[in-house]
Parts: sequence; C-alpha cells; structure tokens
Amino acid sequence: MIGAIKGLAGVLLAAAMLYGMQRTTPLYSDIISPVPVAGRQGERVDTSAFAIGVADVHLAREVMASSFGRTRTYTTSGVWVIIEAAAAAKQESLSLTSAKWLGPNGVRHALSQRFSAMSGMLGSERLEPGIPRPMLMAFEVPESQLSGATLLIARSALTPLAEEAWIEMTDVRAQDIRPAVTLGRGNRSQPWTLEAE
Amino acid sequence: MTVRQRLLAILITGIGGTAAAAASFAMAVYDAANPEGVALVAAGEPVDTGRWIVTVRKARAGPTPPTGIEPLEPKTFVMVEFDADNRSAETSNVLTRLLAIDPPVPNLPDPIVYLTRDGWVAGGISPGMPERMIAAWEWPPALPPPRTLRLLIGSQIYKRRDNLYGASGWFDRDPVAAVELSVSPAAAEMAQ
Amino acid sequence: MTATAANTGERRRYWFSIAALAVVLPAAILVHTGDTIRERLRDMRNPIAVESGTLQRYAGADWRLTGLARLPGSLPDTTVVLAEFEATVDDPKQLAENRCQVALTDDWGRRWEPAFLPGSAVRKAKPAAADKPHCGLFEELSPGDTVMMAESFVVPEDAESLALSVSLSGALPAYLLFR
Repeated sequence: MIGAIKGLAGVLLAAAMLYGMQRTTPLYSDIISPVPVAGRQGERVDTSAFAIGVADVHLAREVMASSFGRTRTYTTSGVWVIIEAAAAAKQESLSLTSAKWLGPNGVRHALSQRFSAMSGMLGSERLEPGIPRPMLMAFEVPESQLSGATLLIARSALTPLAEEAWIEMTDVRAQDIRPAVTLGRGNRSQPWTLEAE
Repeated sequence: MTVRQRLLAILITGIGGTAAAAASFAMAVYDAANPEGVALVAAGEPVDTGRWIVTVRKARAGPTPPTGIEPLEPKTFVMVEFDADNRSAETSNVLTRLLAIDPPVPNLPDPIVYLTRDGWVAGGISPGMPERMIAAWEWPPALPPPRTLRLLIGSQIYKRRDNLYGASGWFDRDPVAAVELSVSPAAAEMAQ
Repeated sequence: MTATAANTGERRRYWFSIAALAVVLPAAILVHTGDTIRERLRDMRNPIAVESGTLQRYAGADWRLTGLARLPGSLPDTTVVLAEFEATVDDPKQLAENRCQVALTDDWGRRWEPAFLPGSAVRKAKPAAADKPHCGLFEELSPGDTVMMAESFVVPEDAESLALSVSLSGALPAYLLFR
C-alpha cells in the first residue's frame, strides 16, 4: 500500500517537473535572438561592429519626396516618423539593413519600404571603418506608439546572436506632429535635404 | 517480476498502442473523406484568418490598374478591394496567397497589392494600422474577364514552438472562408 | 538465475550507460561542429608578406603589386586608395577554380572592402586602372598570361600603414599581404 502511494507520488512529481521544464524552456527564437546594446536618443551607441547616433526625429502626417524632378506625396494611416542619424563601421566594412520601431505595446514596426530608393536611406550605402555617414530611416507608426518607443538597429534581422542597438526614444511627442515633411536629394556628403512645414 | 507479469504488461501496452494508432488513423481517414466545407461569407463581412482580419469588399475588371496609369499595351486587370488588419506583433506583407481565385485559373500570375488611399504598391502592413487595399490580377488576354469571382481566403496559425526548431512563427493553413463577388465590368468603369 | 544476480547485471548495465554518456555526448557535439571547425581552419591565418614590386608565387601564379596610390576622396576627410596588382599565370587549372577576396587593412586591424565601382577620382587620375577588372576572373587562361587587376577603397584620410591582402579560396589559410 505504502509502496503504491510512493510510486504514485513519484509519477506525479516527475510529471510536475517535466511540465515545469516544458513551460520554462526558452523559445529557440529567444535563444538565438540578437544581443541588445542599450542606448538613448541623441547619444552615440557603440556595438562591437558599428556605432550609431540618432540626431533628429521628425513626425509628419504626409511626406513629400522628390526624385528625378517629380514630387510625390506619401500618405499614411498612422504617423510618419522620419529619423536622421549617423553611423559608422568600426573594424570591417558593413551594411546596416535592419531597423525596427518597437512600440510601447511590444509591436515591431518594420522600416517603411515606400521610398527605399531615397539616397541615404538605411541599407542604401555600405559603411566603411572610420567614416561616419548620415543615415535616414522612415517608419509608419500608429499615433499611440510614438512616445516610449525603442529603435532597434542591426546589421541584419536574421543573424543569430549578433548585436543590436536598442535606442530608447526619449524625446518623441505626439504634439510635435507636423502636417508635412519634404525630403529632397542632397549632395554627396549629405545625401538628402529635409524641410518641415 | 515474474515472466507472466512481464508478458501481461507487454500485452496490455501492445493492445493499447495499437488501439490508439487505429483510432488516430481512422480519424484521419474520416477527415479526408468528409472535408469540412469552407464557410461562405458575404462581401463586406470580416473574416478572422488567424494572422489577419480580412474583409473582402468588391471586385471590378478594367484596363486601368490601381496606380491610375494605363499600361502601353492594353491589358485587363481583375481587381478586388479588401481591408486587412494585422493581428500579429510584427509588420508583415499582405501575402499574395491570402486571396486565391477558386477554381484556379491556369497561367494566372500572382496579384500585385496596392494601397487604395494613394495607389502605391502596398509594402508591409503594421499591426494597429488597418489598410484598405486592392489586389490586381493581370488577366490572361486569351480569357474573357469573369462576370463573377469566387475567392478563397487563406489562413495562418501561430505556433509558439514549431515542430522543427521550437521557434515561434506563423504557418499557413487551409482556407477558412470563401466569398462570391460579382465583377462590375470595364464598361461601367469607363462610363464613370 | 536468481533475482539478485539479474539485479546486479541490470545495475551494472545502468551505470555503464550513464558513464558512456560522458563520452558519447562530447563526441556527438564534435561530429556536429566538424564543418564549423573545418571552416575555421580555412580562415586567413598565414600571411605571406610581400614587398612592393617583388614577385610572389601563390595559388598557381606569380603575384606583384604594381601600385598603391592615394587619390582625393569625394567625401570630406576621406581618401581613395587605388591598388593595382597583377598575376602571371603558371598553372591555369590551379588558379581557375578560386574565389578571390581583396581587402585593405591597417595596423589597428581595421579592414576595408573594395568599392564595387571605381569613383570619379580614379577615372580622372588613372583612367587605365578604372578599366581593369576586379580580382576573380581567372577563366580561360594559358600559362604565361598576365592578369591585371585593380581595386579601389574609401578610407579615412588619417588611415596609415595600409596593406593590401589578397586571398584565393583554394590557397587558404595562406594569403598575400602587400605592404
């Protein structure tokens, strides 16, 4: 009788342990997720491969972008977030291709592809060690996800265990939304021009 | 443990295992023999497809794609207007597989999806920002444009741990609903 | 066979299996990481330092650096480094099936990859070099042919003690380092 109770208790304990282990095992996607390097808006963030600093953030309802002499209007059902930053490679030539706007509700908004042909856009130019370059990013984000967000920047979205800059966006407020922002073609050292209305 | 006890244990587990396998096989055969018909929804009715909430609105055919610029050599486009709301935690492209013409039209290329509000090709759709879009199929010139269109709405499910790596992700599933639309012809659009 | 004897036998097998895990698990990990280890062994490890202008035999050809020029860069505080080099073919077969990697390095371990297109500075100062191909076209060669190549790099103006490294996949881990 005692033996049966012991056996039953043993089985229950094993089941509980297995259940606990199953629930607490980290997801594979978590195990291989990028390593965050924390930083803040307006400061330089150093990962081992690249350095980046966010200079200006512009919020707008519409973006006018001129290319090849024509101006096109890009609307959004949320708010345009146009980010002017500077980045440099540290040891090796590299390209930054992944930028995400992590809203306070945990949603990751991908970089808008709508004017990916714009010069200076993230991913359009390779970074060389020791040569800082201006870099442009554009997101379409719901108005509720503006303040309290984090900007995530990495060499690629898929490389396991690579470093990712997590830049806390401390100075983004919904009252700064402008009706329109105009992006134009710049010169070699400053690839775009930006005018806010 | 005696030999008899061992034999009994082996017999019981054998019978139990066989019974479970037989039951599972029978259920699979039954499911395959009696496919669950997809629900027919009306135009304008939202459909929960797992990752997206899709509302198919209306269809039309015409020579002008949603960009408003007619191609140099005349073509016929079959266009379906729909709303999509991303329910996942990440921006995603509206998959061309989301809407499928039923029965399939041979040699029909995948549709291009445009935003209704400015006529540009739709990129990723973010959660919390539902969009109205138009899927445009370039109709084969050999076929007359359809009068009615039956579309299957595909679905995706979320797996916290997939079977291969234990990674979380979205996986395609069978269509969840069908919608039947009448296609307003090119002439009606020209008259506008 | 008594019950105790069977128990002892079972127990021995049990402990043997536990002990075997200590050997089998590391072995399994080693077998699975074999490709990665082999890849590591083929990394660039053995530099062959070559003085400017001298010939060096490497991967079935004789290599020589013919020029390493600094030209004005189109960005402020940058310089375009134009590297011209040539390979005189000795063993076309050995040379043909190679991927070529070129980079410019400095003493701090920084590494610049070549620009895809030669910039305007190169076109203006050395038009002949701008038309030379990148490293890597070694098809249909016969012994005695000379392949002339050029690569350009955008580096900061203050970058010093630059060296050109050239590696061919078939000859790794050895690679050429032109100073």
